Amino acid sequence: MTVDLERADIQGLFARGYSNLSLATFVLLRFEDGLSARSWLGEVLGGITTSEDRPERRAVNVALTASGLSRLGVDGETVSKFSSEFVSGMTAPHRRRILADEGTSAPERWDWGGPATPPVDGVLLLYATHRAELTALEEEQAALRRRHGVQDLHRLGTSDLDGFEPFGWRDGVSQPLVEGLGKSGPENLTVKAGEFLLGYPNEYGRLTDHPALGHNGSYLVFRQLAQDVRGFWRYLDGATRTADGAEDPGARLRLGAKFVGRWPSGAPLVLAPTADEPALAEENDFRYHRDDARGALCPVASHIRRANPRDSLDPDPGSDDSLELNRRHRLLRRGREYGSPLTTEEALHGEDDGEPRGLHFICLSGNIARQFEFVQQTWLNNPKFAGLYDDADPLVGPSEPFGGCFTSPGEGVRERYTGVPRFVTVKGGAYFFMPGLAALRSIAGEPGNSSSPEGS
Amino acid sequence: MPFQSALSVVAPVRDGAAEELDRVLAQMGNGVANGEVIDFGSLSGLHFARIVVVPADTDHRGRPLPANIVYLADLDVSPEEHLAELVRTAGDGVDRVFGHCEGYPGGTPGERERLDWLRSRVAREPATYVNTRGRTQQQISQEAGLREAVSDFLDRRPDLRDRQPRAVRDAIRKFVGREPGLRWALEPADRPGLGARIREWAHLAWVGLLVLVALPFALLAAPVYVVLLRRHEKRDPAPHNRPDEALVLELAALEDHLPMNPFTAVGQVKPGPFRKLTINVILYLLNAVTRHLLKPGDLVGVKTIHFARWLFLNDRRQVLFASNYDGSLESYMDDFIDKISWGLNLVFTNGIGYPRTRWLIKDGCRDELAFKDYLRLHQVRTRVWYSAYGRLSAANVAANEQLRKGLHSDLRGDREQAWVQAL
Repeated sequence: MTVDLERADIQGLFARGYSNLSLATFVLLRFEDGLSARSWLGEVLGGITTSEDRPERRAVNVALTASGLSRLGVDGETVSKFSSEFVSGMTAPHRRRILADEGTSAPERWDWGGPATPPVDGVLLLYATHRAELTALEEEQAALRRRHGVQDLHRLGTSDLDGFEPFGWRDGVSQPLVEGLGKSGPENLTVKAGEFLLGYPNEYGRLTDHPALGHNGSYLVFRQLAQDVRGFWRYLDGATRTADGAEDPGARLRLGAKFVGRWPSGAPLVLAPTADEPALAEENDFRYHRDDARGALCPVASHIRRANPRDSLDPDPGSDDSLELNRRHRLLRRGREYGSPLTTEEALHGEDDGEPRGLHFICLSGNIARQFEFVQQTWLNNPKFAGLYDDADPLVGPSEPFGGCFTSPGEGVRERYTGVPRFVTVKGGAYFFMPGLAALRSIAGEPGNSSSPEGS
Repeated sequence: MPFQSALSVVAPVRDGAAEELDRVLAQMGNGVANGEVIDFGSLSGLHFARIVVVPADTDHRGRPLPANIVYLADLDVSPEEHLAELVRTAGDGVDRVFGHCEGYPGGTPGERERLDWLRSRVAREPATYVNTRGRTQQQISQEAGLREAVSDFLDRRPDLRDRQPRAVRDAIRKFVGREPGLRWALEPADRPGLGARIREWAHLAWVGLLVLVALPFALLAAPVYVVLLRRHEKRDPAPHNRPDEALVLELAALEDHLPMNPFTAVGQVKPGPFRKLTINVILYLLNAVTRHLLKPGDLVGVKTIHFARWLFLNDRRQVLFASNYDGSLESYMDDFIDKISWGLNLVFTNGIGYPRTRWLIKDGCRDELAFKDYLRLHQVRTRVWYSAYGRLSAANVAANEQLRKGLHSDLRGDREQAWVQAL
């Protein structure tokens, strides 16, 4: 059974990550005045890329926060019908424990989206093939905002690291196969469109609750994650020096691969346990329970094994039921890197250039609590994931108050690394909603569209 | 030593005392008990404890359901011993909490008066669940210490990594034997005595006999029951109400302070004798199953619950459910939905407002969002919650037990290797 997606009404970021448009800029917006913001939105609308389009030069998408919806004049009753996470926002007080936004990652210290900076109402996502194109697009869009008096809060630039993230690993290898989108795959690995898009059946065979305005829209989770590339490599280096204190590049890389669960090329440890095999870079057909139940090849604590545990979930690891559980916690990732590349050599021995590096993490979701927050809290940050003792995700997880260990099982006694610091710091974030085109028109108050979002 | 016991004290709050009581509880904890007023950490054989106030409500006929203080404890000692210790060591605290209850002795009561009053408020749980029966709090805490010591030892001895399992195990045994504070680990843990085990067998035999006797009648009544059941299920209202944001934030503020959480919820039993009969029979059977038939550590696929119980309040018009579970509420609810929806439906379908079930076990909580909203709307604020081992997951506790077992049992071959690999 396939699903018919109303592609022309769905923003394009749902259907594709625009990998052919290698440059991007994200502009965080503030709507001081609802009326002018609506007229701005009305004008931006015409240029929005839909899921039907196959953009070759540029793409534009837009998403709004709960405060943005309110400022644009959407009534409180309608806003309250969106999910609780979206309405109360990423910085609701208890959420710092769910997302491990504490210490240096506390919202009070964020560059944007936190209590210390003005509220974010929306984000404009701009993509282009090359620098000049992007600059032109940015300028056109800025002119539109100036004309309508919409304020920029923050411009988030990105860089094209050729498919690698700043630590040096290939990123985005494993994306869920979405029903009705792109290539088809085995049924037990294909995720229902309703998991990422409101208005379609989800993995429970139900429609996720939403107001009519939510139809054909997705929640968009945005997190700016600063990566301490120097700290990462220096930790790996210090932890793998030989008894006489000499560097051991092989062991260093191996530990990094154990942290990630893949070699830098992207080759998974389950299939390439001893050394990187670039031929396996795109290989994604493997299972944990079936191929490596104990984690002797790919540690249970490693990043990719907990971000997507595949067939290893209780109560019946290795079964179709296990894969089914896993399908309810997938993320459709659409993030982009920022900062210039840093080689291992530079990270270990170079001067600190002070340049920020990291990931603008973006994912689309139909249910933030069951997908993004669940994966963060129950799988990544949880020091008890899958029977572990005190191991949070070594790559992106916290080290305090719990979780600073990393255990790597072997044939005999495990190797254990303690005092693993936090390599990723949150610099900003917000829960957005990326509405469908008709919904955007209705918010903008364009004639010919029902502006009443009632009747869901 | 007996098996673990549950203690539930239920006492109606005096009119007008709720606010002051709230203040006392807020002083005692903000999701996790802080040791103020009552220092749970000093009480013997205590796994978990909580004090909640179940707010006043009205039932379907408009009759009042008075507010109750509920004190719950999961124990290695008998409830009687626990109460005696409580009044002996924390008498003032008992006064400050239960002094807000109807009928609590006035002035400064003596130990005897406090104890008698508490005893008079003890309620019997229709069903309880213990992750692993017979494993004491002391054993759990000691074995966690053993794990840490052995882990540190192995970190100091990288040379053991390439050794044969037997050599590794011998080295660890030698290390443990050398440490006066760990030597106990070379002996098996205390198990409940013969008397306690005989009582369990007797209980199982009694339940088996009851079931045998009741079975013919149950089979005869089954067709009628099924017709009635479907009629009730189709007719019972199952509205999907959403909790407002303020309530969600208030409840969430008390959660996730440790890698484990308490869950407390109260619901009203649906009106009529049909539901009353159903829930009583189901809880009775459920208790027999959890007590006698479950594999340790595994509640039909859910392995993250340490202790749980069901309790009737206000003349069986309300049911309280309380548990201590690993991880987040979101993951806990998903576990319910994904792994034991049928078991959950069996019990909760008898509660007013629960998502519609079919045949007692189908649908119900499979309506994911309706179920999650239902739980939030029925959750009871749990400010004062004590865990003797809040940093250990159920899986950790079980692994630590295996670690200790491996020190004193006869392991060979694959089993010995698996033991070494699990260190």
